[in-house]
Amino acid sequence: MSARNRELLGLIPASLLIVAGFGAVFLQEQTRLDDLSLTYGAIFLGLCLVAHVIVRLRLPDADPYLLPIVAVLASIGLVVIYRLNETLARDQAQWFVVGLIAFAATIILLRDYRVLERYRYLIAAASLFLLLLPRVPGIGQQANGAYLGIGLGPVTFQPAEFAKIGIIIFLASYLRDTRALLVSRKRFGITLPRLKHIGPLLLVWGLAMLMLVFIRDLGSSLMFFGGFLAMLYVATDRFIFPAVGFGLFAFGAWFFASTVGHVGDRVSAWQHPFDPKLYEQIGGSYQIAQSLFAQADGGVWGQGFGQALVSVGDSPILPAAQTDLIYAVIVNELGLIGGIALLLIYVLMVERGFRIAILARDSFSKLLATGLTTVVALQVFVIVGGVTKVIPLTGVTLPFVSYGGSSIVANFVIVALLLLISDRARREARR
Amino acid sequence: MLQPTALALQAAFLLVLFLFVAWVVRSTLRDLRRPDELRSAAAPAATDATGIHSALTAGAPPAGLVDPRLVVERAPGHTPGMEYEVAGGAVLGRGEQAEIRLDDPYASSRHARLVLQGGRVVLEDLGSTNGTYLNEELVSGPQPLHQGDRVRIGDSEFTFVDS
Repeated sequence: MSARNRELLGLIPASLLIVAGFGAVFLQEQTRLDDLSLTYGAIFLGLCLVAHVIVRLRLPDADPYLLPIVAVLASIGLVVIYRLNETLARDQAQWFVVGLIAFAATIILLRDYRVLERYRYLIAAASLFLLLLPRVPGIGQQANGAYLGIGLGPVTFQPAEFAKIGIIIFLASYLRDTRALLVSRKRFGITLPRLKHIGPLLLVWGLAMLMLVFIRDLGSSLMFFGGFLAMLYVATDRFIFPAVGFGLFAFGAWFFASTVGHVGDRVSAWQHPFDPKLYEQIGGSYQIAQSLFAQADGGVWGQGFGQALVSVGDSPILPAAQTDLIYAVIVNELGLIGGIALLLIYVLMVERGFRIAILARDSFSKLLATGLTTVVALQVFVIVGGVTKVIPLTGVTLPFVSYGGSSIVANFVIVALLLLISDRARREARR
Repeated sequence: MLQPTALALQAAFLLVLFLFVAWVVRSTLRDLRRPDELRSAAAPAATDATGIHSALTAGAPPAGLVDPRLVVERAPGHTPGMEYEVAGGAVLGRGEQAEIRLDDPYASSRHARLVLQGGRVVLEDLGSTNGTYLNEELVSGPQPLHQGDRVRIGDSEFTFVDS
């Protein structure tokens, strides 16, 4: 079976999920089975087919599993968001269409993605500008103590989602040039690059720390810095770099946790979520504690679709259920078994991404695919780790599942880039 | 209250999810067992061309430099298969002084040079307008050449051979 036919086949399960999921939610809400779920399934299949046709026409050799994986994640997200709030689900569906347009535009306009290398400093500067935008008075918005969004008229927009793509592109291009220099000097039997070569590395570390303080978001800074360390490791094949980098990050995080109030609050809420004082406190451990209760309530098989207790009257029991805590809602309704399925799908997505990196022939493509994949993987780790009390909870989205326009559009661009790299790599490998 | 239909739909939902995971895993495993696509990528056409793996050997001593040559793959005004001796270094370009003359509109008069450094042939761009490509990557700074590396300037392409 050709790669594209395999992709087409893989889109069917996603539409089945929509039909079954919406059917179950309708049953729960109106106690009758509405054939509207079939219509939704058909519309969703139609949208997937549009993406498929674009890939078939422009990238005939691209990885066949990435698009079906994205479709399945999206369908889970739509069902759960619909069950939480109908209006939000309608918004989310519109964002998917916008995301698909961005996906198509990336594939069609960026025929040779390696031109990105030529604009790397422009891309880096634009990304930094985007990152700092939420701190600009007037358009910046603060949510839960973190500065992440900017308001443009009726649309709230999270520039960090797009900045992360730009920074990965810059780093891939930069590391391609300097990777040989980074390992070229040895002193006392260990690799010790010159200051001018290691300088930019320290700059990125400084940037991650700056984000921690200015944007007040541990999750994003962990994502950026982790992606950077993974690329550095792939570029140099020296374990010392990620080891030292991770040490520096841990030190910085510890330092700011003990000095900056907002970061410190998050850490103590993480360590003692059931402490009555922290639980009652505004911005305390209420969210993480409720998330743990919800997951425990789900058990192995779950409470069933539409059964999760999200709010009593108007007061929400699960705060930010459609964004940060969507994983907790999924585990409550589908149980441990559903949570495992979701995480397995992310594992497969990451596996496909790294496989694309392995297949790619030139260093820029390899580093770009590695970076993009790592950032998605870390994003899943940061939010799932947060709601399961592995690391302090910070608000990032669960890629393709959480409600949020910027996140969906940015992630579609990431998938488009991965498919572009994959198409070139597999075509060259076949020759 | 869980109706049987709702329960069935939920079971179907989970079943589809796990079947999907199984399908992707199975196909991936099959690709790994029959690794034509992976093998050709892991071991590129030329055995140790400068790829991502060779950053470590960049400063390593040469493994027996016998007879370094540039073989013409395609170049305006050259016959493919023609070889240039480069043991003594060479300048590539469109100008009169270049040892390897390129009749290529994209080439600068002194475009790039090959020099022997520490027993290894090193490729260096001489500030050309359109750049020099080593294995389809833009060269910036001196790059040691390995057996099978492809050097491209505009429409002219050479393969480096040293044994």
